[in-house]
Amino acid sequence: MHPLIQIVYQNVLDGAQDLTAAAVEAALGAGLEPGAILNDGMIPAMREVGRLFEQGDCFVPEMLISARAMQTGLEVLRPRLVQADLHAQGKIVLGTTKGDLHDIGKNLVGMMLAGAAFEVIDLGINVSPGQFVEAVREHRPQLLGISALLTTTMPHMKATLQALQAAGLRDQVKVMVGGAPLTEDFAREIGADGYSPDASRAVTLAKALVE
Amino acid sequence: MNSRERLLAALSHQEPDRVPFDLGSTQVTGIHVEAYRGLRAALGLPPVEPALCDTIQQLALPDEDVIERLGVDVRGLFPRNSHNWGLAIVDRGDAWEYRDEWGITHCRPKDVLYFSVVKSPLDEARLPLAAVAAHPWPNTGDPERIAGLREQALAYRARGQAVMLKGVLAGIFEMAQRVRGMQALLMDLAANESLACALLDKMLELKLAFWEMALPHLADVVDVISEADDYGTQTSQLISPRMFRRLFKPRLAELFARLRQLAPNARRFFHSDGSLRPLIPDLIEIGVDILNPVHITAAGMEPAGLKRDFGRDLVFWGGGVETQTVLPFGAPSEVKENVRRNLAALAPGGGYVFNTIHNIQADVPPANMLAMWEALREYGDYAERAQPD
Repeated sequence: MHPLIQIVYQNVLDGAQDLTAAAVEAALGAGLEPGAILNDGMIPAMREVGRLFEQGDCFVPEMLISARAMQTGLEVLRPRLVQADLHAQGKIVLGTTKGDLHDIGKNLVGMMLAGAAFEVIDLGINVSPGQFVEAVREHRPQLLGISALLTTTMPHMKATLQALQAAGLRDQVKVMVGGAPLTEDFAREIGADGYSPDASRAVTLAKALVE
Repeated sequence: MNSRERLLAALSHQEPDRVPFDLGSTQVTGIHVEAYRGLRAALGLPPVEPALCDTIQQLALPDEDVIERLGVDVRGLFPRNSHNWGLAIVDRGDAWEYRDEWGITHCRPKDVLYFSVVKSPLDEARLPLAAVAAHPWPNTGDPERIAGLREQALAYRARGQAVMLKGVLAGIFEMAQRVRGMQALLMDLAANESLACALLDKMLELKLAFWEMALPHLADVVDVISEADDYGTQTSQLISPRMFRRLFKPRLAELFARLRQLAPNARRFFHSDGSLRPLIPDLIEIGVDILNPVHITAAGMEPAGLKRDFGRDLVFWGGGVETQTVLPFGAPSEVKENVRRNLAALAPGGGYVFNTIHNIQADVPPANMLAMWEALREYGDYAERAQPD
């Protein structure tokens, strides 16, 4: 790894927002390829954050500051990147289900996916089945991610899958679900394509689903 | 044996006649107003317009007829706080909204069950440290907050009931998240420690101001003091145990030491959702007597293991029925079996108070609440000896 890319990698891993921006500037200034800075420095750093999280060596605060550093670095890099590099993995529409105003889990998933070169379209919270269907029709994503923190709002996930079916869109998008009260069994029962217990494993799942 | 004697025996790690039962003594052991209406109907009690002890969570204050019918042993004192006092709720058309005494904006779309925080007052990305001191904080030491509570406590005592007193703000971690924004505060903890600590210190100061005002008036009439925070998640902890020990534990230790001085005869109850096992020895060390809600489906929280490892030092208050799948979605027979198993793990030797895991939510069928209660009566009788599986 080029030493300047190594510095980018380390700063993303450390969650050092301002130092990441400076390191990306420095790497660009030295004439390094924007795609290489992203693919050899920033994305591997986020992959390492995910690995440490799954292993229990890093927690949500550390994951968040790394994701923030990644985003800040990307802002510097974005004008110089070709679309193919930025969104190499594909597109995902994300949202928290109707009746549910919780968003940190969903946001973390979004940040980790953005850090793994997915294009993330975040519909926010309290998203109705109809709004999910509209977004799938409009954005044509490969993936749809639905989050719920409440047992009382989990039924809207099933309703969303049924609405996709009714709209004739179910075959065009893979649906992944997550949130504290959910289980693998629940995801299977409602006919989702995948379930992830946390933001890091959501990235692994998303990659597997688009392959 | 009256309710208070029953509870005090359990809290002293002795077996009373039966497992004590809490329903609604705090804002984390209560019942959603819709579930409460269903419960009353199922018990054949006349409909009422329930009083709420918590508007945000829409929690009903159980009426006397329900308390008596179900044999609830603990009564709660609810000081006036931002969940139940002076709420100016505004109709925004498709949602209800209000701004509380902390400057936090809560919103509840009309087809949604709860209020959630939608805007935090100190959410500026690069918040200057001075903004913490400059914020108009609520006066938590205002004696108006406990007006009438002593009389209420004495009335409960006269009826032989145990009395629980809670504070006026959520945990130092949770409250800091609400005023700063959850994501922002979590990032401050990792990347801007002086700002995070200023917020945590402020929350501790506001907690102490309340307890130092309230306990001189109430310490002799309360049996349990409740404090809370949330460190656990379904699978792990929100922050590393190292971060907990460095930034939170010293502040909690100061809080519990002060509670012990101010109310030497009251037991200290601590609520934290989620997977907590690595932090439990720390909580015991700083003077927590009672752990709630005993989130038995979170990682590492199997009830038999908790009882085995920490049952000598801690009273478990909660964990009586699995609340994420069985209670809302299971059949009544599954609810009964689940209660039987949890009681068999947690009740032997005393040191156990029955409650669900956190509040009973709106989606719990009345038949399941009754099944839960019947199972408590059936398997929670110490004369019948709840046997471990």
